[in-house]
Amino acid sequence: MTTTSLIVIGLLQALLILMLAPLFSGFSRVMRAKMHSRRGPSIYQNYRDLAKLMKRQEVVSEQASWVFQATPFITMVCMLLVALIVPIFTVESPFRWVGDLILVIYLFALSRFFFSLSGLATGSTFGGIGARREQLLSVLIEPVMLLVLFVMALLAGSTNLGTISTKIASGEVPFYTSVWLGMLAFAFASFVEMGKLPFDLAEAEQELQEGPLTEFSGRSLAMLKWGLYMRQMVVVALFLAVFLPFGSMTTLSIPAILLAVVVFLLKVVLFYFIVGILENAMARVRFMKASAVTWAALGAAILSFVFYLANV
Amino acid sequence: MDAIQILLLSVLVFGVGAVASLLLNGSSRTARYVSGIAGMLGSVMGLLAAILAIINKPATLELLIPLPFGHFYLQMDGLSTLMVGMIAVLGFVASLYSISYLEQYEKRSLGVMGFFTNLFIAMMLLVVTVANAFYFLVFWEMMTLASYFLVIFESEKKEAIRAGYLYMLVAHAGGALIMVSFFLFYAISGSFDFAAFRQAQLSPALRNVIFLLAFLGFGAKAGMVPLHIWMPDTYSAAPSHVSALMSSVMKKTAIYGILRVCVYLLGASVLWWGLLVLFFGAISAVLGVLFALAERDLKRMLAYSSVENVGIILLGIGTGMIGLATQQAVVASLGFLAALYHALNHSFFKGLLFLGTGAVDYRLHTRDLNEMGGLARRMPWTGLAFLTGALAVAAIPPLNGFVSEWFTYQAFFNLSRDPNFAVRIFAPLCAVLLALAGALAAMLYIKAYGGAFTGPPRSQPASQAQEVPGTMITSMFILVAGCLALGLGAPLVAPYLMQVAASLPGATSMPVASGVWVYPANINQAILSTPLVAILLVGLLTVPLVVLAIYGGFKAGKRTVVDPWACGYGYSPSMSVSASSFDQPIKATFGSLYALRPMIQKPLDATAAWSKRFREAIVRSEPVLESWITRPTAWVVNYLGKHIQALQMGDIRLYCLYIILTLAVLLIVVFK
Repeated sequence: MTTTSLIVIGLLQALLILMLAPLFSGFSRVMRAKMHSRRGPSIYQNYRDLAKLMKRQEVVSEQASWVFQATPFITMVCMLLVALIVPIFTVESPFRWVGDLILVIYLFALSRFFFSLSGLATGSTFGGIGARREQLLSVLIEPVMLLVLFVMALLAGSTNLGTISTKIASGEVPFYTSVWLGMLAFAFASFVEMGKLPFDLAEAEQELQEGPLTEFSGRSLAMLKWGLYMRQMVVVALFLAVFLPFGSMTTLSIPAILLAVVVFLLKVVLFYFIVGILENAMARVRFMKASAVTWAALGAAILSFVFYLANV
Repeated sequence: MDAIQILLLSVLVFGVGAVASLLLNGSSRTARYVSGIAGMLGSVMGLLAAILAIINKPATLELLIPLPFGHFYLQMDGLSTLMVGMIAVLGFVASLYSISYLEQYEKRSLGVMGFFTNLFIAMMLLVVTVANAFYFLVFWEMMTLASYFLVIFESEKKEAIRAGYLYMLVAHAGGALIMVSFFLFYAISGSFDFAAFRQAQLSPALRNVIFLLAFLGFGAKAGMVPLHIWMPDTYSAAPSHVSALMSSVMKKTAIYGILRVCVYLLGASVLWWGLLVLFFGAISAVLGVLFALAERDLKRMLAYSSVENVGIILLGIGTGMIGLATQQAVVASLGFLAALYHALNHSFFKGLLFLGTGAVDYRLHTRDLNEMGGLARRMPWTGLAFLTGALAVAAIPPLNGFVSEWFTYQAFFNLSRDPNFAVRIFAPLCAVLLALAGALAAMLYIKAYGGAFTGPPRSQPASQAQEVPGTMITSMFILVAGCLALGLGAPLVAPYLMQVAASLPGATSMPVASGVWVYPANINQAILSTPLVAILLVGLLTVPLVVLAIYGGFKAGKRTVVDPWACGYGYSPSMSVSASSFDQPIKATFGSLYALRPMIQKPLDATAAWSKRFREAIVRSEPVLESWITRPTAWVVNYLGKHIQALQMGDIRLYCLYIILTLAVLLIVVFK
């Protein structure tokens, strides 16, 4: 594919993530309500919430510095850039000339850096506690993600996400045991990254608040929430790109791109569906116990690496 | 003039500045300006020398000093030039910074301070350029001594004396190891010249011994775990511009030593050497940052974080050494490139962070994070500079820390395809540990910046702080610019550093950049463009702005005079999450690793206690020695003196006679 068409595809990807992220988040809200036997909100409720928040006056704590104000923008920008790099519609990385999987992992780190900082920035108790929770999870999860992706990169012979995607899709890298194990570990890591139970309760408005979101209001809250919805979807897209790139476009044509979009959306729905079931079937664990669970993911990642070494 | 001559001139300027400021000790104010300006001048010339050496080819100079230990031989090859440039930039910044920063010490003898600071920088310049082991050791010792006196500058403080003592102890233990390794070289080669060392025919066993001695000796100075324990105390005792110099460049002289001796002189031909370096690097990277997280003294945090960064540099060096040993040119070159890049980056961002800490200390007179808070509003420039440093050290793209860690990952990636099974296991695990260290570092610097610069002020001085003087801000922003340039300019910096890496014997130059991209020798393996990342991050900002514009922009306005939400109760700053509670989950999760800390501390404390007892024993044995040796000697000297006095009559004619007699004797001796 030519660079121009890849750029166009990349922009389309970012646009799709931007527009549809609230929808999928709404989908998990609906699922949650159904499993609780509630009627629940409409699937479009998130859009209405965002539109409403945008028009509200912003109330900012006296202590807040510019870091606090900048966070919603930085979060959204980082997720847009990731959406440009991750192969979503095609098996190639549309903006592969910007960076590889290491850049993607560290772009997540960039958004988290400011997200956590914004929690501390206001001097709010809940924000601070949320910030440190966010950081502990990232400390526990980032090495898992990196090891899994590293093993996949070794199998594909490149840290370029597009190459990994291409080789998995074409069967050049078959589903070894190590790929299965890596998939398991990475699925777990994505689950945590999405901010789901048992580690996080993104909708706990009353008890622990929403971590660093506590002090945001008005359009800042809207932008930040939107950014976080995008983060969930981008994480899913990254998982799909590395492990299930089937159905993505390999040659450029209009039907192929339409097919790829549809297939991608179906995969995302399926992923959100499974995540929804898991999330709602699960009890919350104490946050400090998180490491007891994440060690299992690290274990799976290391096993995947061991199987890679043994070539099975 | 060629590079070396300018370098000598720069050392001379430092020397003159040192002596002048010592002479002006009576007037602290003048001494402060003189030593600062001399330091800046000397640094500019040092930088000039480095630039000249880069443009022209490597330069050498031999001074004939009639000493039996060999030639005084200065040499600026690729590695030395890089180090000279690094020292010069940091020397300039620290000197500029010191002019205002030292104002708070006005009542002390700043002339002495200026003397040792200039001497310290000059000695570092000589250490990295001298190509003779004897002079290397001399300059190395002088560098250690100068920095020692800077550490105990506030000598009425008990911690400073204790820190200085510990520093001396470890530095000299390390120095002794280096000395032994050089003497072993000398025993075989018969000369102290590095050139002769390279030719020496060493038996494999001896090579191993020399490697271990040099690695541990330089490792102690670099502060790798478990030899790091002197660093937190030392850095927090020293004035900030000195800790900046110690952390960002003195440490690098130790890295330089490892590269010079273990790679350049010994050739790194043994596989387990590289594995050992890799092992120490991995441990240092993770434990350093974990220990840093448990601190709330900003300078001690930065010191432990330096342990982490030395670990990352060692990871690169270890990878490079394995590459050399297994003759994989790509691995070797990438490993050394990553190590050099990270060393260069670290000197910029860590220097910046230490200067930022100094700026806070300058206004608040504390380094305790729990006494700070909200400083970004009162010291906006310092805050911005510190944040840039924090982002860089946390390896956030597109800043410089990210680029060097990216190269480190790529070096690991190449190493993971090594035919040797042991190496294949090691490499990805090191990558995981690097990722862990990276995530912990992000948390550490969120804690540091968040605790000091955001949130409510947690003490009286913090709520009344003011921005620091312009010279201090300027010096910090020089380093900010450096961090940005090294990050965004990666496609320009990487090829230069590759040249330096390739100048090490055994490594070959690989293509690592073209256009706005960098890549690890093979363009299909990976590609990164920090300038494009920066452009895209800024460009994509239009998306949220357009979204905002669609929804009515900033019409709704905002209200800023409210307290944070506190469940309806009145808010008080003590409700905010303090720096010391921020890391509590990590302490709980990694509790077992923190248990290592006393274990590492124990042997050194034991050594310190032992050496203290030794010293006390010497004091106790003094009377014995006195009655048996000192008194009789003194008596003999007195006795002789009285009789020799007879010669000294004070008569000028008699003295003339003595002179003539001496001449006569000499003539007889010569012509016989």
